[in-house]
Amino acid sequence: MSTVPQRIDAVVEDFVDLEGREKLELLLEYAARLPALPSHIASQRASADHRVHECQTPVYLWPEVTGSGAKLHAEVAAEAPTVMGFVAILAEAIEGRPVDEVLTLRDDLLERMGLAQVLGILRTRGLRAILGHVKRGLLAASTPAGKESP
Amino acid sequence: MAGYANPDVLVTTEWVAEHAHDPNVRIVESNEDRALYTQGHVAGAVEIDWQVDLQDQVRRDYVDRAGFEKLCRDNGISNDTTVVFYGDKNNWWACYAFWVFKLYGHPDCRIMNGGRKKWQLEERAWSTDRVDVKPGHYTAPEQDGSVRALRDEVLKHQKGGRPLVDVRSPEEYCGDRLHMPDYPNEGALRGGHIPGAVNIPWPLSVNEDGTFKSAKDLEKLYVKGAGLKRRSPTIAYCRIGERSSLTWFVLTFLLGFAKVKNYDGSWMEWGNCVGVPVVKGTTPDGSPA
Repeated sequence: MSTVPQRIDAVVEDFVDLEGREKLELLLEYAARLPALPSHIASQRASADHRVHECQTPVYLWPEVTGSGAKLHAEVAAEAPTVMGFVAILAEAIEGRPVDEVLTLRDDLLERMGLAQVLGILRTRGLRAILGHVKRGLLAASTPAGKESP
Repeated sequence: MAGYANPDVLVTTEWVAEHAHDPNVRIVESNEDRALYTQGHVAGAVEIDWQVDLQDQVRRDYVDRAGFEKLCRDNGISNDTTVVFYGDKNNWWACYAFWVFKLYGHPDCRIMNGGRKKWQLEERAWSTDRVDVKPGHYTAPEQDGSVRALRDEVLKHQKGGRPLVDVRSPEEYCGDRLHMPDYPNEGALRGGHIPGAVNIPWPLSVNEDGTFKSAKDLEKLYVKGAGLKRRSPTIAYCRIGERSSLTWFVLTFLLGFAKVKNYDGSWMEWGNCVGVPVVKGTTPDGSPA
C-alpha cells in the first residue's frame, strides 16, 4: 500500500506538465469522484464545528481516525468545484494511512502541482487552509483521549 | 429593467443566448471558482479571471495599461466591442471585471442579469468547447481615477464627513469577525469600519435568482433607508474591493449616482494601515447603538 507522500508525488506528476485548462479539467475529474457523505455523518451536517470558515463557499470536513487509519469525509457546495477537487485529492491521498504520515504533508502542494499560478494567490491560500484544517482535525482525533486501540 | 438609471447596462439571459456569437459582442465569464468555466460556460464566452488576468502578479494593483490592452486583444475584444460580463456568486466577479474595464475606459460594458445562477435556473445549455478567438485591436487610455479611490483620498473623504458605504457583513463591520486562521493574505490587524461608513451588506442588492432588485427596492435601500444622495461623492468598500464593485455598479448604473468610487484597497489595506481612524460597533460613528 503506497504512503501518503508517494500518493501525493503521483498526483503532482499527473498535474505538473498539464497546461492551465487541462489542470482544471483533471481537478474536475477528482471533484466528480468525491463520495457523498455517509448517512451517519450527513445527520450531523448542521454542526458548525465542521465548517471551514476560511472558505467563502460552504465546505464541511470530517477528518476521522478509524481502526484502519485516516479518513476524510467532506461535503462541498457544487458551486465550488475547485475546492471539491482539491478535497477529493486529499481524501484519496490520506485514506487508510497513519496520521503521522498525513502530518508530514507539506503546505506547498498546490505550488508543486502548478495549480498556484492557475488559481492565484488568494485561492491558493484558501485551499491551503483546508489542508491545515484536515491535519489539525486528524491530530485532535488521534490525541490519547480519542485514540483507537491498536 | 424599468426604472433603472441606465437600463441598457443590463442584458437578459435571452439576449446573451442570441448574441453570444455576434462579432461585435464578447461574452466574458468571471468567477470566484475558476473551474466553473472549465466545467461549462455560455457557448462562445471567454474567461477573464480577476486574480490571474486582471491583477498584477507582483505589485498589489491591476495590470498596467499595456497589460490591459494585451488582455483585450487576446480575448478578441476591440475598443468598439460590446463586452457582457457574467459569473458565479450573483455576479460579484462579473461586476469586479466590469469595474476594471471601466477603470480603463472601455465604453460598452454590460452585465448579464442573474449571472450563472439564472442561466442554470433556466436550464440553458453549458458548453465545454474551447473558444477560438480572433485577436482584437485595442488601445487603452490611462486609468480613469473617477471610479477608483486610493487610500489618501479615502482618508480625506472620511475627514470631510462624506458618505462611505461598507458593504461587508454586519459581523465584519462591527469588528467582531476578523481572525481568519490560515488566511494570512486576507488578514487585517484591526477589525471595525471606517468612521462614518454606513453598513449596507451587498447581498441586499440582489434577488434569490441572482438578478438585481428593482429600482424601487434599491432606491428604498440606499436612498430612503441609508440616506445616500445621488449627487454626493460616495465611496464603497469591502474587504478586497470585489463585493463593493457590485455596490458601485448598483449605485452608478442602476440608481444613477453621479460620483461613486470603489476603494479597492478596502479593509485589507485600511485594517492594516498605521494611524488611520477605525471604530467598532454597529453604528457609523461607533457610538453605542
